[in-house]
Amino acid sequence: MADEKAQKILEALGGADNIVEIEPCITRLRCELNDGSVVDEKALKGLGAHGVMRSGNVVQVVVGPEADTIASDIEDLL
Amino acid sequence: MSVRVGSPVAGRAVALAAVPDPVFSQAMVGPGVAVEPVRSKSDVVSPLDGTVVTLHPHAFVVANGEGAAVLVHLGIDTVKRKGEGFELHVVKGEQVQAGQKIVTWDPAEVEAAGFAPICPVIALDASADALGDLAQDVDVAANDALFDWSR
Repeated sequence: MADEKAQKILEALGGADNIVEIEPCITRLRCELNDGSVVDEKALKGLGAHGVMRSGNVVQVVVGPEADTIASDIEDLL
Repeated sequence: MSVRVGSPVAGRAVALAAVPDPVFSQAMVGPGVAVEPVRSKSDVVSPLDGTVVTLHPHAFVVANGEGAAVLVHLGIDTVKRKGEGFELHVVKGEQVQAGQKIVTWDPAEVEAAGFAPICPVIALDASADALGDLAQDVDVAANDALFDWSR
């Protein structure tokens, strides 16, 4: 179940090939991407993200305190 | 029932809107109060009785048995300090009491390194109207009440 969520978040971020680095910071995933423009913000919010902040190819997905768990689940998928 | 949430640090309690980070100022992860800390080396204490469920050098979450989880974030973007200047006194999973020492840090050092040392204290996933008696624009000591969280 948790892995499925991680999988869907990964897809919304443009898939494993688009990830340069993902770092959890207690409430959010700081994602450095190859291409920030492909991020599916609507899908991320549908997956429970409280907010998405973009700054070029760095995208922060606010997921709440589960960030650590989600980030390690995503790492497992990379 | 309600949970009394105490200040993790000594300083001045201010509105979350004053925090220079939209995740906190827009209450994306929950409502709360921020504390502008006194600029001297000091201990950060637990805001409530509970379990340390998340622990980073610069931030932690304590959750009680009823599921009330409070996030304390020590400064903004301080994840970039990679733990430098933060001395932890507990481990993840440890039971703690309100007022118990969790971390020692120096807000003046954090500020000198270019980070805002303001500390958001967040009632995770609470609705804004669940919080009462918010301390606002008053000086607080560590463990003084910041707000009551009715649940």
